[in-house]
Amino acid sequence: MNRAADQPEPNPLREGLSARAVPQPCTIVIFGATGDLTHRKLVPALYNLAADGDLPPAVVIVGFARRPKTDDEFRSDLDQAARKFSRQTVRDEIWKNFAQSIFYHQSEFGDESGYEALAKRLDEIDKNHGTRGNRLFYFAAAPDQFEPILKHLKDAGLNQTCKGSWARIIVEKPFGTDLDSARELNRVIRNSFSEEQTYRIDHFLGKETAQNILVLRFANAIFAPLWNTHYIDQVQITAAETLGVGTRAGYYEDAGALRDMVQNHLLQLLCLVAMEPPTDLSADSIRDEKVKVVRSLRHWSGNEIAANVVRAQYTKGAINGEPVVGYRQEKNVNPDSQTETFVALRLFIDTWRWAEVPIYMRVGKRLPKSATEISIHFKKAPAVLFNKDLRALNVLVIRIQPDEGISLTIHAKVPGTSFRIEPVKMDFHYGTSFGKASPEAYERLLLDAMSGDATLFARRDEVEEAWAFVDPIEEAWHAKKDAPELYFYPAGSWGPEAADDLLARDGRAWRRL
Amino acid sequence: MPAIAETYSLGLPVEVSKIDQELKKLWQESQGTATRATLVNLAVYSEEAGSLSKNTQLMANITENHACRAIVIEADCSAKENRVEAWISAHCHVTGVGSKQVCSEQISFLLKGGCADLLPSIVFSHLDSDLPFYVWWQQEFRGPMDPQLWTWVDRVMYDSQGWEDFREQMRLLESAEQEANQRIVLCDLNWTRLDNVRFALAQFFDHPASYHHFAKINSLRIDFAPGFRSTAVLFAGWLAAQLNWRSEKTNVPNKISFVSPSGGKIDVELHEQPGEPIGEVAMATPEVEFLVAHAKCGDLLEVSRGKPGEERMPQLMPAGKNDPVSLMSEELMRGGPHHVYLHAVDRVRDLL
Repeated sequence: MNRAADQPEPNPLREGLSARAVPQPCTIVIFGATGDLTHRKLVPALYNLAADGDLPPAVVIVGFARRPKTDDEFRSDLDQAARKFSRQTVRDEIWKNFAQSIFYHQSEFGDESGYEALAKRLDEIDKNHGTRGNRLFYFAAAPDQFEPILKHLKDAGLNQTCKGSWARIIVEKPFGTDLDSARELNRVIRNSFSEEQTYRIDHFLGKETAQNILVLRFANAIFAPLWNTHYIDQVQITAAETLGVGTRAGYYEDAGALRDMVQNHLLQLLCLVAMEPPTDLSADSIRDEKVKVVRSLRHWSGNEIAANVVRAQYTKGAINGEPVVGYRQEKNVNPDSQTETFVALRLFIDTWRWAEVPIYMRVGKRLPKSATEISIHFKKAPAVLFNKDLRALNVLVIRIQPDEGISLTIHAKVPGTSFRIEPVKMDFHYGTSFGKASPEAYERLLLDAMSGDATLFARRDEVEEAWAFVDPIEEAWHAKKDAPELYFYPAGSWGPEAADDLLARDGRAWRRL
Repeated sequence: MPAIAETYSLGLPVEVSKIDQELKKLWQESQGTATRATLVNLAVYSEEAGSLSKNTQLMANITENHACRAIVIEADCSAKENRVEAWISAHCHVTGVGSKQVCSEQISFLLKGGCADLLPSIVFSHLDSDLPFYVWWQQEFRGPMDPQLWTWVDRVMYDSQGWEDFREQMRLLESAEQEANQRIVLCDLNWTRLDNVRFALAQFFDHPASYHHFAKINSLRIDFAPGFRSTAVLFAGWLAAQLNWRSEKTNVPNKISFVSPSGGKIDVELHEQPGEPIGEVAMATPEVEFLVAHAKCGDLLEVSRGKPGEERMPQLMPAGKNDPVSLMSEELMRGGPHHVYLHAVDRVRDLL
């Protein structure tokens, strides 16, 4: 959102042309360039940026991977991928031009000489393509490769640049598997790159509606006075998907829903909902406030975990009328797997603003529909006049995906001679009000990294605090004695009854999505 | 939607006094299959005969990306009789999300006779409340500018490309702006037309290491299509304003001269050549030339830099389109004032 402190003075010819920070010419080195992420997300995103004229002309992509491949073979692979996964139709003339700046660099991740050759190649690219010594290293490889990559980048001197240039890394999740491993990963990163050079990507934060949470809260005076324990009864965050584990069983079996979704995406969303107003829109001001939210989460231990966190796994069922197998019957899943595919949590943020406001979170696979939504449930109006029998509350819903938008449920009199009152919904849809399609999250985040804007990236302390919250839950689940129960739910349902009970005990219920 | 949603027809003729009721009926008849959306009130004013149909077609395309309440007005000020006719219609588009139609409503008016008096009352009676009010003025402005109307306007869109007397038109607009306490934003589609070329040239200088070239610029060539000289002059004005060039008098047609803050002379050559409004821009220092040219395929720009005569590897960037729908869509995406435009105008006002 703001220009980084080390960014240059603005170009006078840019004035009035663009409200965002300008991405700098650079070489983007993708580690794990033959993988899924590069093909499905990164290259289509970069192509879209180029086609929209948002990339500076001097941007070069270097794919770094183990498989032997020529530049042309690599370009051809990416061409096919872009045509399949790009948000806009790939135009031959633009692709041809874009592809001229794509190169392939074959090396083992642990081979020192591969990095020395990379350094020479990057110098050549700087000379021939005007990339000015700026380097963005994208870690799309498996996390166990991060350490050797970082070490060799440092040994080859690629973590440093000459004056006026920059080197940055983008790290994909998972940022560790627990607090210790996250600290270790951050230590390893810090050995080679400073925190200012490190961009931990969470694609949820690149979504239009996630960014809009700050605008909704801090650009609309009507919400500010209500956004606290005096007026808010509860907050619910749901991330539901109809998909099962698919081809990700290898990763998911070890991770589970808590590590895969809650530790990062959902806690990031919660931070945006619950943070105090930052003093300005600089990356660190915003992240300072976000980290305070995670730090203020009430930590559960012992029996409290079973009482406040529900884990479950899907069994066979049906999605949209189609029968689907249970998690344990999925390919590459242990038939006795204890991995959770569903988590429901009851949280509290122990701050003045949020004192005793329960935050209910649920995330799950093979739920009846795919939707990520945040709902703010306001307290009842005084129980006099019209409100004696009213059960529904005013609810503000922020839809993250799909059908991004915001709705507010209010009470209205049903036309007629009697005083019947019903909830009605005021609904804002991004797609309806703004015809223009939003860019993909990766487009926004890649541009931000090229511009030196870290606002939408997670900082070291945010990640570590999130693990500090999640770790005791994981430890309890994996304890040999008295581990909280793993519940089961049929695919196509909204999770186990225990998740409903979590709210029922408080006299509340999950929102119907 | 009922038959009146036919995209390019003027829609259902209605009595002026019953427009609100008829609009309500229109949405009731859609029975939940369509959603009405509106972000701004957009009034389109023209005195060209037949402009109602033409503008209805334009609005059908513009509303695809910019939900608005369109108030399309054709005025025949020379008519002897005083008469107002009105129609209502809806422009519906299926959104990417789900299959629901999103519709913008249009109210069309044909004003005959004393239009200057009728215009504010027609417009004010049919604004969707609390939304910004934009006016797309397709005529030359005539004095005196009615303060009753202009103090309500948030943004006024016009195309100075066809103006016969730029200075007089700007004077009228600036007087309206003053009436509106500077609230009104002047949006010149002739300026919007330059967006992509300006963007393409600007990106050469994103790195501070390129700033030193600014002081060495000594020539600028702008190829423009017949009828687009003013577009080319505005472009030169933009560079002059942003780089603090001072204009110098020259008596040679199609040549402009500027002096840089360091005293260097910049010769600007304007070349008329059939093709795109701005076909090519070449800006040079003694060492390097920055070139932005339309690619053969039409809607792309080729941008390159290098020593004169040296082989270059051009990059492609979007060129945008020079049609009213694209220009208006681009303009409607914007917010905020157009200070840079006003500075550019100031530099070349006498040349336009």
